[in-house]
Amino acid sequence: MIYFIRRAGFLLATLWAAVTLNFLIPRLQPGDPAQALLSRLVGKTGVIDPDQLAAVRKMLGAPDGNLLAQYWDYLGALAHGQFGISYTYYPYSVGDVVAQAVPWTLMLVGVTQILSFVIGTLLGAWAAYRRNSRVDTVITLGSTFVGTLPFFWIALLLVFVFAISLNWFPEGGGYGGGSSPGWTWLFFSDAFQHSVLPAVALLITGPIGWIIGMRNNMVQTLGEDYARLARAKGLPRRRIALTYGARIAILPNVTGFAIALGSILGGTVLVESIFSYPGLGRLLLEAVTNKDFPLMQALFLFTTVGVLIANFLADMAYGLLDPRVRRTEAA
Amino acid sequence: MTRRPRNITALMATLTSSCLLLAGCTGTEESGGSVSTDGMISHISYAGIGGGSAPQANYNPFLDASQLVATNFVYETLYVIEQNSCKEVPWLAKSYSWRDSRTLVFDIRDGVQWNDGQAFTAKDVAFTFNMIKKHDVLDTKGVWPLLDSVKATGDDQVTFSLKEPGASPFTIINSVRIVPEHIWSKVKDPTKFANAKNPVGTGPMRVKSFNPQQVVTERNPRYWQADKVKVKEVWFKANTGTPEIEQLKMGRGEYDTNGMFIPNVQKSYVDRDPKHHHYWYAPGMVMSVYMNLTKAPFEDVAFRRALTSAFDRGSVARKAQLGYVKTASQTGLVLPGQSDWLPPGTKDGGRVGFDPKAAEKALTEAGYKKDSQGRRLGKDGKPISFKFKVPTAYTDWVAAAEILVKNLKALGLQVELDRTSPEAHDEDRAYGRYDMMFGAHGGDCNMSLGFGHPLGSDGTAPIGKRAFSNEVRWKDKKTDDLLADLRTASSKRDQKKAVAGLVEIMQTEVPMIPIWYGAKWFQYDTTRAVGWPNAKNPYAAGGDNLILLTHLRPARG
Repeated sequence: MIYFIRRAGFLLATLWAAVTLNFLIPRLQPGDPAQALLSRLVGKTGVIDPDQLAAVRKMLGAPDGNLLAQYWDYLGALAHGQFGISYTYYPYSVGDVVAQAVPWTLMLVGVTQILSFVIGTLLGAWAAYRRNSRVDTVITLGSTFVGTLPFFWIALLLVFVFAISLNWFPEGGGYGGGSSPGWTWLFFSDAFQHSVLPAVALLITGPIGWIIGMRNNMVQTLGEDYARLARAKGLPRRRIALTYGARIAILPNVTGFAIALGSILGGTVLVESIFSYPGLGRLLLEAVTNKDFPLMQALFLFTTVGVLIANFLADMAYGLLDPRVRRTEAA
Repeated sequence: MTRRPRNITALMATLTSSCLLLAGCTGTEESGGSVSTDGMISHISYAGIGGGSAPQANYNPFLDASQLVATNFVYETLYVIEQNSCKEVPWLAKSYSWRDSRTLVFDIRDGVQWNDGQAFTAKDVAFTFNMIKKHDVLDTKGVWPLLDSVKATGDDQVTFSLKEPGASPFTIINSVRIVPEHIWSKVKDPTKFANAKNPVGTGPMRVKSFNPQQVVTERNPRYWQADKVKVKEVWFKANTGTPEIEQLKMGRGEYDTNGMFIPNVQKSYVDRDPKHHHYWYAPGMVMSVYMNLTKAPFEDVAFRRALTSAFDRGSVARKAQLGYVKTASQTGLVLPGQSDWLPPGTKDGGRVGFDPKAAEKALTEAGYKKDSQGRRLGKDGKPISFKFKVPTAYTDWVAAAEILVKNLKALGLQVELDRTSPEAHDEDRAYGRYDMMFGAHGGDCNMSLGFGHPLGSDGTAPIGKRAFSNEVRWKDKKTDDLLADLRTASSKRDQKKAVAGLVEIMQTEVPMIPIWYGAKWFQYDTTRAVGWPNAKNPYAAGGDNLILLTHLRPARG
């Protein structure tokens, strides 16, 4: 029990630290958001009228004044679930913009992450079970090779072959202009077609880490004394592999998976930019380039909180799966 | 499907077949033939919706940063200043007159209706201007610093009182888009008004549907020149943000018009469908070599003047700019569009030819001798060495800078190319942290801004402080006087006199050295619609959407 309370306390402390850092970091950054916004408008020339600048600054409510008071306001707004008004999408609030993007990222990256984990873990376990066989060689060598290829290159190759040359799938976007988001069959089929290429790209590269991790862990656990004893006792190979090998080998992967789920946002920037997918990753990229502080802060906060909570849950799961962890902590 | 998919190919095949079952894989938008039987164009599509990567419905004509492109088709101005030859085209106002040098009166066009059926009156105009006075953050064009008051003086007359005499506020007044009083007077805070539902304007189009991938506008049957608009719908399609893919979509004919930079436009656009794909790149802004005028040797006018003939502008236009545009004139005017303003007797439009020998001679005469190793020496006896800053990301600028640096080196100057990021480049220019670099200026239909921005001393700042427009840091009493004359001149004759004075300053004092004209990128497709402007028929610039819409005709039938 103490273990769980301790973990929860740790979670709260780190959450507070994350919220505070999230408040401070953008404010320590050099540069003026109003200026950035106007520069984007006037393009290469950079001729900006001081009156225009003053107007935009006023409109944005650009942060100035006492840092402590700002911090207090920020905490108060957060407690009410308010993230402010986006600079880029003025006068829409950060909440509106983010809410629109969340489902896309969750569907695309969330689903492919889970699939990658399942596929990777299974393939890794299979390779370890059939160690040094042809299956093992193909899986290990294959994933090492694909792992050396840069993700953007694979993604662009997919676009080139299946979208541009063959014209089987759209080259980007979340759905076509002809269908509007809603609970219609047309929209779902359209959204599905648009998600195929990015999903395939993610599924080619996604499982590799899990395959290699799982295979190595399992090869190691199968070499442990208890596995050897089980073998000496004459237990079936399959049972040894599953209950003595895989169950223990999967532990580090579970932690990894929890963190991976929590940090979906960070990993999604590249895929969403390449396929111009209307999710959080593209939003983050745009927020950073436009110095859209409120949007940036909200997105960073979601990621940090996501990672922390995922970590907490992984710790909990760990404590349940492996009694030794609880005992060491309590001692 | 009898076999399980064994490899990626099989998997893809399975996915495709299921995709085909799901009602049409791609191209859901293209519906039927391009020619309609009613003499109308079914639709034209534009590249880009505006409003970032997650566009939100926003048609507030005063929120320049976040509004969608469709806003430009819903709201109109009193006059439209056509951006190619700067013609003043009567629009919501049918005429204007000067009561005195500070009082400008517009006569409002009769019979104009808002797209909800209400009549448009002079009161709407006065309301719009007074609203952006009250909510000054909406005055992003900066019109009120120039105005005293705006009043409706009759049902069809609006009177503007100016702070200073002179015609120069005219173009700024006509950049303000007019909104209906009966809607906006009820809006509590117009600075936070997204105007997302059925925006009411006088324009040729009204919003039909919005989603973040596509905005559709339809023809407004109540439009005051509806008989001239033959376009049933205008579609705005989301930009993917990847230039290569956008080029591909253009080549496929997905956009009827676009304004993007395409490397080798002939091959990647025109040749894909030579009959229908065209482009017209009219000269836009002046791209100049900016010299840091606070530093030696650039503070010496003789040195600057010597450099005017040192640059091979022809090579830059041909090689670095792929021949899309022409070399620039030292006058600072954008030719041929502004040739009206050239002082009479200006030879060859004020263009300075490439003459390295003359540059060599002029430098030597100005006291910049060469040492035994052929290095050009400064007044302090040391070899002159400086850096030419250029943003790595603008490949055309880098190519141009490489040519210019070679020209300078040939004169014995020790010049190095200094590549930076575009952001750092723009910051350094604004703060004056450079020796030599490119800058853009001019090209404005408001001459007073075209010359005032780069040359007026009110736009500059000391080195290390941000200069808002005069980044070369040109400070000159005579220039400021001429700019004041230009600003307050009411007659074209007086304006031309002031411009002639400024042109002379550009030529003799050389505050900057114009090299080429930036292009107004404009591509168009004649599959569905004809009547686009081009070099042979330059009735407007490619971006003058309101004018274009009244000129487009169906391609056949």
